[in-house]
Parts: sequence; C-alpha cells; structure tokens
Amino acid sequence: MRSLVWILGAGLAAGAVEPPMPSWRDEDRKALEKGELVPGLSLLTEEIPVEVEEDPEVPAPTGEDIATTEQATPEVAERYLEAYFGERPADFLVDPQNLLGSKDARDRQNFLRYHAGDSEIDLFVYLFDGHQVIPSEVREEEVVERFFSTGKPAVVVYYYLGAPEKSDIYLTPSLSDSVPAPEQRRALNSSVEEAMEKPDALSQFEAFCVQLSIRIYWMERAAGLVKDTPAVPVARRVEAPAAKPVESAALIRAKEWGQRYGVPGGIMAGAVLIVAGGLAVARRRARYRFPMFDVAPRLGGSHAAGIGAVISFGSTTQSPSSQRNEVPDYLGF
Amino acid sequence: MKCPRCVQVIHRGAGLCPHCGFGIAEMDGKHGTDNVSLRRLADVAGLMKSRERTKVQAALDDFARRFPQLFFAVYTGSGKGGGNLRQFGFWLLNRAAFEDVPVDRPNEAGILLVIDAETKSASVTWGYLLDPFLTEEDTFLCLSRAHAYWLEGRFAEGTVRMVAQLGKILAKRAAQARRDPERFERKVAPPPKTGEIARRIREGHRQAVPKTTEVMP
Repeated sequence: MRSLVWILGAGLAAGAVEPPMPSWRDEDRKALEKGELVPGLSLLTEEIPVEVEEDPEVPAPTGEDIATTEQATPEVAERYLEAYFGERPADFLVDPQNLLGSKDARDRQNFLRYHAGDSEIDLFVYLFDGHQVIPSEVREEEVVERFFSTGKPAVVVYYYLGAPEKSDIYLTPSLSDSVPAPEQRRALNSSVEEAMEKPDALSQFEAFCVQLSIRIYWMERAAGLVKDTPAVPVARRVEAPAAKPVESAALIRAKEWGQRYGVPGGIMAGAVLIVAGGLAVARRRARYRFPMFDVAPRLGGSHAAGIGAVISFGSTTQSPSSQRNEVPDYLGF
Repeated sequence: MKCPRCVQVIHRGAGLCPHCGFGIAEMDGKHGTDNVSLRRLADVAGLMKSRERTKVQAALDDFARRFPQLFFAVYTGSGKGGGNLRQFGFWLLNRAAFEDVPVDRPNEAGILLVIDAETKSASVTWGYLLDPFLTEEDTFLCLSRAHAYWLEGRFAEGTVRMVAQLGKILAKRAAQARRDPERFERKVAPPPKTGEIARRIREGHRQAVPKTTEVMP
C-alpha cells in the first residue's frame, strides 16, 4: 500500500512538471540594469518596431537582364508558322493555335463563308493571341502576294484576339489598285472601333468581322465589282415575302370542293335564296279573307258580341295564366 | 259564346243572358245609347308617346292591309266600365263609330282591344264576322304575348306584339276556312227550333193513322 502511494505521488509529481521559465539574455540583463530596457514597453507604445531588412537573396535584374527579357516577348511558336504561312489557307479563318473554342470557331467560320458566298471579295482572318507577335522573318505583305495573287479578290486581316487595335489589313494585288490605302485604313479603323465597344474578346472579334464585312461591301462598289448593287438587296427583299404561305389541308380541300362544286352550289344557293325571297314577298303581299256567315245577334248587340279573354298585368311575379280573369264581374272583379 | 257579365255560356241568338239577364240595354243605361266617335287608336289614358303611337298605327294599318275585311282598334282608358272590361268592350264595339275605318268594314268585322290603366287589365272583343274564327283562347294567347311589355309599362310595344300574334292566328284560320268553310259555318248555324220538330212529329203521326171510310147505307 505504501508503495502504491509512493508510485502515485511520483507520477503526479512527474505530470506536474511545467515548461522551463524564460531566462534573461546577458545583453538584455545589462540593458535592464542600465535602465535602457523596460520590460513590456514594446506592448505599451504605438510605435511599430522597425524590422531590420534582410538582404535579398535574389539580386535585382540588371539592364542587360531587362533587355534580354524584352527580347523574349512571345512570338508565335515556330511550330505554328507552317500552319499559318506555309500555304494558302483552305478556310477563311486561320487559327492553328485553336485560340477560339470549337463553337465560336464554327460560328465565325460560318459567318466568313456566308460572307464569301454573298460578296465578290473574300475575307480571310489570321487569328493570333493578343500578346503575340508575328516573327520578324515573316513578311505579311509577301504572304498575301504569294498566296492571294490569283483567284477571287480577298481581304486578309491579321487579328489579335483581345487586342483588336493591333490588327492589320492587306488586300490582294488585284484589289489594292482599285481601293486606295486610306480607304483600307478607314475600313480597318471602323472595324477596330466597332470591336472596342464590346466587353470581351469573343464579342470584339465577332463585331470586327461583321463591321469589316460591311466595309467590304463598299469596297466592292469602289472596285466596280458589283454592277447593280442597289438592285441586289431590293430584289432579295421582294423575293422573301413572295414565298407563298403554307396552306392547311382543310383550306386546300375547301378550294378543291369550291372548284368542283362551286358553280352548281352557287346556282342552288341562288335558287334557294330566290325561292325564300319570293315566299317572303308572297307572304307579305298575301291577303286573307274569311267567308261570311249569317250570325244571329246576341244580347241585343247589333254588331258584336264576341267576348274574349281578360288579362291583368298588375303583378310581375305571376304568370299570365294565373292573372287571367275568368270570374264573373258581379263576384268582385 | 259567353255572357260578358256572368261569363257563362249562352246559346246562339240569345236576346238576354239566360243566367243573369244581361243585355246591351243595361250598358246603354250606364253609358248612353248614342254612338261614340272614335279613331282606331284611341289612347285616351295617354299610355303611349307620340312616336309610339305612330308605331302602333303602322301595325294597325298593316293588319288592315293583310285582312281586307277586318280592322283592329285600340282603346285605352282609366276606370272605364267601372272595372268591368268585358261589358265595356261589348258596349263600345256596338256603339262606336270609327272615323278612320272605311264604310265597307263595319263593326261586325272589328276587333277591339281595351286597356284599363287603372285596374291594369286588358280585354278583347270582336264582331260577329269573326265569331266562327276566333275563340277566347286565341285572344288569351295574344294577350299573353303582350303581357311582359305591359308589365313594364311598354304599352305600344305590347300592343304591336299582340296585333302581330293575332295576325298569325287569323291568317291560319283564313286558310283553314278556305279549305273547309262548312266546319266554321256549323259553329254559327242557328239552332233547330224544338217546337218545329214536335209539330213535324205530330204531323207525321197523323199522316200514319189510316183514314176510316164512311159506309153509306
């Protein structure tokens, strides 16, 4: 028992051991003794202790480094250059980097195809990212001259997604002679302004294409590619409403019946109307006569003694039959 | 055929009602024996407006055009006949001289509608020409057509409706009479005299008795 108590006491003593108390550093103790240090003073003052700046481990970039970094501006990766500038594009939207989603790319592609089908001038759009630049070894004018000299006239645009102001426009040689450079710049600026009004990159690209397509329409007129331009839209507008509305089956059947039975039906209806009208007229003109019989006078009346019904109309709640008077007068009419 | 006072059926040609002894002399004593000058539409009670009277007059003219032998007359009054419309109508149609009715249409061919605004009642009386063709039920049907209008005080409209209804009934009766006039003639044929029948029977019996021959010695 005593041993058990001793063990328990030893255990409690061991469990009650607290962490060691903080100890003074020598310099702090000396400062305290000199009165230079007041314990807890840092907590009682509003002054923020100045942290000692440590020397940066990474050295600041030098001018050479900055120059090197600027030279490393992301150019279009070399692996895309062949897809961009290796041959005449097969479609009107050139986006080998897949900057657009599949749906947006399909929508823009459809629009450019629609434009190509509707216009005498094709519109090719090379799409780059906003921060990208075309490598210096690629000369855009040369690409246009090389791939678009033959075939249908075209407008080639280098468009930077999210940065429409960086866009550039080039016309095929056959078109650039008839469309002056200022007109080209105005078309581009107009499209860029239209795009800049949109909030996001996709909407900007869409607005850019639409506006440029409109400007190309005026380029067609300037280049004399369209003979009778005003007649085209007017003619199309006339054609649309000229399309016959779809007739219902009942209407078609009614028309067939009308064609088949219209004439005899009309004749019969006319005959019925004539007969009905004749009967009405005959009835209106009819005169009714009564045979005259000798009637013996009654009650001393020389002309009349036909006594008919007497009806009262004093009550709105009773029927005419209930208000018929058949009571002798002397019983209290 | 009924008595206008006791509403009992009386026989054809009765000089006085066999039930109550009513005759026109009794009414003459009340209203006089002189003829009363009237027009077909006599709105004495003032139940109709001027425009309404025009409509009623047109209905009366149309009735007279369709029935060349007949005429229809309307009389409105207040307390006329002392609340006894049957007797008053009977007397008036016998004593009235209608100014706007041609002379070839005597009162025998007349139909008189009497409306009493005081007792709020109406009655119909007709002349002898119409005796075979018109019944009390016919006139009740006509009055029923007008009843709803008269309840609302629309006397002109009700009267027009009534005239139209009466025209329909009479047109039907005229067609029936043209096809079978005997049917209507039987209604007004004079009753056989019972004394005559008895005399004939007695005469027949006398003829049947064999005559006795006298034997001369």
